[in-house]
Amino acid sequence: MAPTILYSACVLGAVGLYLLLRPAPRAVTAAGGLLALGGLAWLLKQVAVGFGPGADVGLDPFFVIFSLIAVVAALRMITHSRPVYSALYFVLVVLSSAGLLLLLGAEFIAFALVIVYAGAILITYLFVLMLAQQAPQPGEESAQPEYDLVPREPAAGAAVGFVILALLSEMIFSGVPQLDPALSGPEAETAVWVELEQMPGRFEAEINAVEPGFRFPPERDPLTGRLIRVDEQGAHVLGLVAESAEVVRVDLPESAMPENVQRVGWWLVHKFPVSLELAGVILLMAMFGAVVLARREIELSDDEKREAAGLRRLALEGYPEADSEPAGGGP
Amino acid sequence: MTLALIEPLAQPVLGAYLLTSAVLLVIGVVGFLTRRNLIIMFLCTELMFQAAALAMVAFGRYHLDLSGQVFVIFILTIAAAEAALALALIVLLYRRKETLNAEAWTEMKG
Amino acid sequence: MTSALFVAAAGRLMMTAAASSPTGEGGGPIPVAEPLEGMGWAGLILWLPAIATVLCGVCAALRLRTKLPGWITVAALGAAFGLTLVLYAGYESPMVIHLVDWFDLRAGEWQFSFVANIALYVDSLTLLWMLFVTGIGTLIALYATEYMEADVGKGYARFFAGISIFLFAMTALVMGDNLLMLYLGWEGVGFASYWLIGYYYERPSAVAAAKKAFIVNRIGDLGLALGIYLIWHNFGTVQYADLFNLLESGHYPTEAGGWSIRAIPYLLMLGAFGKSAQFPLFVWLPDAMEGPTPVSALIHAATMVTAGVYLVARMAPVFMLEPSSLVVVAWVGGLTALLAATIALAQFDIKRIFAYSTISQLGYMFMALGVQGAAGGAYHVFTHAFFKAVLFLTAGAIMHGFAGQVDLRKVSGLRQVPGFRITSYTMLYACACLAGVPLVTNGFWSKDTILAQAFITPGPGFRALGIIGVVTAFLTAYYAFRVWFRICAGPVQYEPGPELDEAHGGSRGGFHPHPPRLAINAVLVALSVGAVASIWPHFSGWVDHLIADSSAAAGTAAHAVAHEGFLSNPHAWMPWLASGVGLAGIGVAWFFHLANRKAADDLKSALVANPLTRWLPHALEHKWYFDEIYHALLRAPLWAGGHLMYLFDRYLIDAVLVDGTARLPRLLGKAFRPLQNGVLQSYAVSMAGGVGLVALLVLLSPHLRELLNGWLGGGG
Repeated sequence: MAPTILYSACVLGAVGLYLLLRPAPRAVTAAGGLLALGGLAWLLKQVAVGFGPGADVGLDPFFVIFSLIAVVAALRMITHSRPVYSALYFVLVVLSSAGLLLLLGAEFIAFALVIVYAGAILITYLFVLMLAQQAPQPGEESAQPEYDLVPREPAAGAAVGFVILALLSEMIFSGVPQLDPALSGPEAETAVWVELEQMPGRFEAEINAVEPGFRFPPERDPLTGRLIRVDEQGAHVLGLVAESAEVVRVDLPESAMPENVQRVGWWLVHKFPVSLELAGVILLMAMFGAVVLARREIELSDDEKREAAGLRRLALEGYPEADSEPAGGGP
Repeated sequence: MTLALIEPLAQPVLGAYLLTSAVLLVIGVVGFLTRRNLIIMFLCTELMFQAAALAMVAFGRYHLDLSGQVFVIFILTIAAAEAALALALIVLLYRRKETLNAEAWTEMKG
Repeated sequence: MTSALFVAAAGRLMMTAAASSPTGEGGGPIPVAEPLEGMGWAGLILWLPAIATVLCGVCAALRLRTKLPGWITVAALGAAFGLTLVLYAGYESPMVIHLVDWFDLRAGEWQFSFVANIALYVDSLTLLWMLFVTGIGTLIALYATEYMEADVGKGYARFFAGISIFLFAMTALVMGDNLLMLYLGWEGVGFASYWLIGYYYERPSAVAAAKKAFIVNRIGDLGLALGIYLIWHNFGTVQYADLFNLLESGHYPTEAGGWSIRAIPYLLMLGAFGKSAQFPLFVWLPDAMEGPTPVSALIHAATMVTAGVYLVARMAPVFMLEPSSLVVVAWVGGLTALLAATIALAQFDIKRIFAYSTISQLGYMFMALGVQGAAGGAYHVFTHAFFKAVLFLTAGAIMHGFAGQVDLRKVSGLRQVPGFRITSYTMLYACACLAGVPLVTNGFWSKDTILAQAFITPGPGFRALGIIGVVTAFLTAYYAFRVWFRICAGPVQYEPGPELDEAHGGSRGGFHPHPPRLAINAVLVALSVGAVASIWPHFSGWVDHLIADSSAAAGTAAHAVAHEGFLSNPHAWMPWLASGVGLAGIGVAWFFHLANRKAADDLKSALVANPLTRWLPHALEHKWYFDEIYHALLRAPLWAGGHLMYLFDRYLIDAVLVDGTARLPRLLGKAFRPLQNGVLQSYAVSMAGGVGLVALLVLLSPHLRELLNGWLGGGG
């Protein structure tokens, strides 16, 4: 794909983003939103049109819906002036991203994401937001402080965004030479069945569900050294049934394949035990840190608080400048 | 759905997922650079984490390797820890200056 | 009778105008010196003053408060004079006495050899000069022991160190056997002159005068240095003996008519004019009167200023290579004589008058050398040394006695002031010598020789030069006796001068003059006796003999003078003319300055009233505005140039280059400062943007390279 098309799409997106960022009349924001989404759509179309031979693979409609929702919610998150709404839009992003993960077959992660992010982290954010809320002063035009309304340097931000997006999309579309080809279907299936082997209890339960009298364990494949064999008809095991001495083939149904949750759990324990433990330690330390940090109250005198909020000192003898402006912050 | 498990991801589709991840990342970057509210800034970093997680899982699916998902679990862990500490710090900063404006902290200028 | 004289002179002029260019031959063969062994004691003449300098320096360092430095100097110089007498007594023929090896570089070809050792070249010219240099030097040092007594413990030792080093340098100049020693002495006397003029260094006028003397001398020294170089370049040697041998034999390596050989006399002449204060380099001598009077007497009257005359006399064989150079010497000398005399008419400071008188008399000496009357010139040097020294020393006695008074309008009737009789009468005799009073004064005989020679030697305009000389003699007589009649004759009245020292018992109301004592009076008398005694060499032909036995002989005209008849022999009628002119001048001075003193002021008012002559008194008083002209021509442009350079340095180099370079980092810093605004997000923007750009560039580099190749390859 010619870089110019790529970059123009990115530029479109950047311009749109810029327009969205500034507080502007509704028409402008609408135009900005359309531009941004238009750019994204164009990019996606290019992806669909394809790069490389044998392209024009159709995109899953669910993918399109979820990704659009995610992007729109993200855009709204960064442009909304009220922080609580931003947090809520973030929840929407999390949900749609969970949907995308589901499409990718990562169920556990999808739900973990929802539970941890939307459930725990975002709630914490909302608590802090409420804690750090500044009451609006009487006589002010809007109820929001100025720093929430007006973004800083939207042009620079949009430009940087454009550069990074151009970079990433260029990398995506020019491809990585050393990207290993994906495993083919049968190989992948075999890999999954092999994992079932690592779970003896379930393995046995599945075999018994098909063939109750199967004598565990089945025979080992002399070629591969595994218990489960896979061929064109599916996975099967060879083994003895009950008291007969003849080797019977037991076909394992597809439902016997381990689920994503089980697989992830197996991987965590089998392949990354240390990381698991370390993650626990990290969480412990974070808990300690948070408790320690948020515990001490810093005593500030009235004057220091006033100064910190940008107000002048109270009138004292000898200080001529004693007039205080209407405070921008609370006590 | 189980077929989806075994069927590898075509490259264009991988590209689409990566693009979405990239767009989300960029939006997160722009949000971090433009918003002045400290809490929203950190929220945008969380958005960047999201994008990273999506990319991880997409690659994992492409290679039919579960390492991607495992790594995302750890990302989640770290994100949670970091969010906790960041919010504690924000609370402290707020107590100092009574404002959530990131531009209030410019003592290192010049 | 006068008109007949002039008719005769005019007739002679016309007769000889037909054959007017001077011939190229000089006098007889040039006597050349032979090296002589066993005369090393003669070197003491050179070393004694040097030792005296060192000893005076030691006295200065020890801060002695006695007159010891003075006595050391007198002793050293007296010893040098004694040795000179011994040398003279034992003199037979020119000789070279080698003292110390100095430069001895020989490398095969003559062009690359340079030999210049510390050696003495003793011939009769040397002895003539050394006799009066050391003799008068000793006497003046003796005079100065009393004259400078007010400075004992303060600058006394410094003064005598200066005198000693001056004499060392003068000896090197006169007795050196090569041009390098001459140059060493030349510079040395210039330095000593600078040091001694600036003796009263707290006076800004003295400092300025010292600098002026040195700088103007430098201009002349350039000519001398170039001349010496060209001599070496063309003849391969700077030693007199070798040089004269070469010139005698006529076999010198380069062609005689080459321009570099013809330039040598002019360059040497430039040096001589600088040192001997001739036009246009004479402006330093009047200012040099800022120095103490013994210095003026010794250096600027008797010895240093004659160095130029010595140079021309010594280098006569070289000058004869280019006869027209002698014409230039003569004319410059003559014109300077007239010019200086006119200026002296209108000055009031007696030391200035004597300074201009020195310039004028030096002009006579150069004129003599130029008309190839070297004997007359040398004799005039000899006599002039005596009477000019007396004149200056009497001026010094007046200054010493009247607290620095030198204005002739403020002192009168000195010969009746008790204690000043010797001063007055020695001054009378010296003025008479200067004026050329007939028969009894040495100046008469020496001036007469010069003026007569001007009418003998054929040359372009030499007759006119002679007439100029006669006119100058009239003026000289007038101004000399103007001084004497004003100061020493008439009613007694005096005023103390600017150096009145209240602490030493002086006060304006009850001022008593401080008469000179033994040392001063003895020296004055001795010099006057010497002046009288110097009449005798004229008759014995002593000077002629001395000149003939030296290299100056080349500059002596070999024109036979017909002795038949009165009018055709200038030596016969010149004494009458010169004495008549001199007495006339004395008479005019008597009228204006003794008989009727107001007449001088009336004359001046009359001149000023007449619009045609109004400029004359002012011009004369202001020395024909020479200093102002030099200032406008030389100093002012240099100052302007210097100021321009200062501006250039300050505004271009300092402000732009130096300060600009200094400001550059600050400016750059200021330019980049807004990047550091302390806001986290702006840093993040820069970082993210930077990373993105770099990564993008890295990623796109193959494409970019292709693109660039396409552009460049396609275009180029």
